[in-house]
Amino acid sequence: MSANSDDTLFDLYDREKRLLAEGPDLLKSSDENELRAFSERLFERFAKVVRENEDLTRHSDRQEQRLVKLNQNLKLQTRELDQRKTELENLSHQLSKYLPPQIHQALFEGKHDTQITTQRKKLTVFFSDIKNFTQTSESLQPEALTEYLNEYFSEMTQIALNYGATIDKYMGDAMMVFFGDPESHGVREDARACVEMALSMLERLRSLQKRWHSIGFENPFEIRIGINTGYCNVGNFGSEQRLSYTIIGGEVNLAQRLESNADVGGILMSYETFVHVEDLVVAEKRGAIRMKGIARDVQTYSITGRKTESSPSVFNFDHPAGVSIDLDPAVLDAEVRSALADKLSELASQLREP
Amino acid sequence: MSELHIAATERTPEILLSANNGTFSMKGESFPEDVSAFYGQVIVAVDQLALNLTKPLTVDVAMIYINSSSIKAMFRIFEGLEAVRKNGQAVSITWHHQEDDDIMQELGEDFKDRFPDLPIEVNAA
Repeated sequence: MSANSDDTLFDLYDREKRLLAEGPDLLKSSDENELRAFSERLFERFAKVVRENEDLTRHSDRQEQRLVKLNQNLKLQTRELDQRKTELENLSHQLSKYLPPQIHQALFEGKHDTQITTQRKKLTVFFSDIKNFTQTSESLQPEALTEYLNEYFSEMTQIALNYGATIDKYMGDAMMVFFGDPESHGVREDARACVEMALSMLERLRSLQKRWHSIGFENPFEIRIGINTGYCNVGNFGSEQRLSYTIIGGEVNLAQRLESNADVGGILMSYETFVHVEDLVVAEKRGAIRMKGIARDVQTYSITGRKTESSPSVFNFDHPAGVSIDLDPAVLDAEVRSALADKLSELASQLREP
Repeated sequence: MSELHIAATERTPEILLSANNGTFSMKGESFPEDVSAFYGQVIVAVDQLALNLTKPLTVDVAMIYINSSSIKAMFRIFEGLEAVRKNGQAVSITWHHQEDDDIMQELGEDFKDRFPDLPIEVNAA
């Protein structure tokens, strides 16, 4: 038995160590037989250790070689993966230009479903279109038209992205964006963001117009904007082979109709949008419009500017004598405002009479 | 009589030794934290076989990975098997290795050279 009875104290080198322990005393011996026997045992063990050492070294070298090979393969694979990653990043960057950024991001995070599924959601839809684009384009060299149009869309797109819009599509010179999907801050906040975005676009366009005019674009682009808030079908439309993430429905068509009825350089919105932004903008009540697919008459409002401290705002007056006035001049058209001013002036004169 | 049943772990092989059946096998990976503690019991059990085995012994070794310390322990185990053979019992050893594992194949060949008196067959699984 070569092992200690306690397994945990077993020593793989017990035989060699035993010989080493015996050595010092035995080597002092003058007994030739004893010395010879020890030398033989020592030689036998030494020979085994040398052979073991040879085998172990050989095995160790083989393992090392395999490790080196694995390491080389790993480096090669890492290089290939890095290269593939760069290619995918470039591809992703190119694809991102064809997709709404929110959808692109959701797709890459694995959060976007590519099934043909849609849902009804209350969205605020924006349409813009360049006035007389065909005539304008005919008066320009194609290169200049491309340059101005690209600049126009780039600037408008950047503003839309800054406000968190989902850019649905460009249709020739028209642009369609919406708020409320895939991310929403609530119907009211979505509507307000859309109107703020539209105002920023018009402001930016005015400075572009000045610059374009100064460099030879005689009649720079002018646009009309329509905004509507209502229930739309939003999601993936199309086939298993080709999908479009878009919105459809009567309320979408209404936004386009509002755009075509808007003043040049103006924003026409439905009552459904107006109620969410009446404290933000000065708006003029316009005529109601009827549309196929929309059961109601749609009251429209044209934005004339942002509401500032000096803008006329809602006027409230309550007196214990039983007088109560609640008036928002912004929702009245010019004729009604004028008639009301005359009546109030007459009333003021009467009140001042003794 | 020697009987040993040690289940495999992530770092140690399965060890099955039965003097009654005349079988001994080691299968799996071998890089124990404490080689002496793990293989000490196996070396002791194999050494006992040399004293009390009453039938031929069939040995199967099928290691996937084995570190250098474990090989040192394996040498001791094979020395024990040599002693079994010297004491008069037939011993037949099959060293199994995976088809594409040339390292384990060559290690089997090394053991064959190192223990010429033991009948060792190196087989691809």
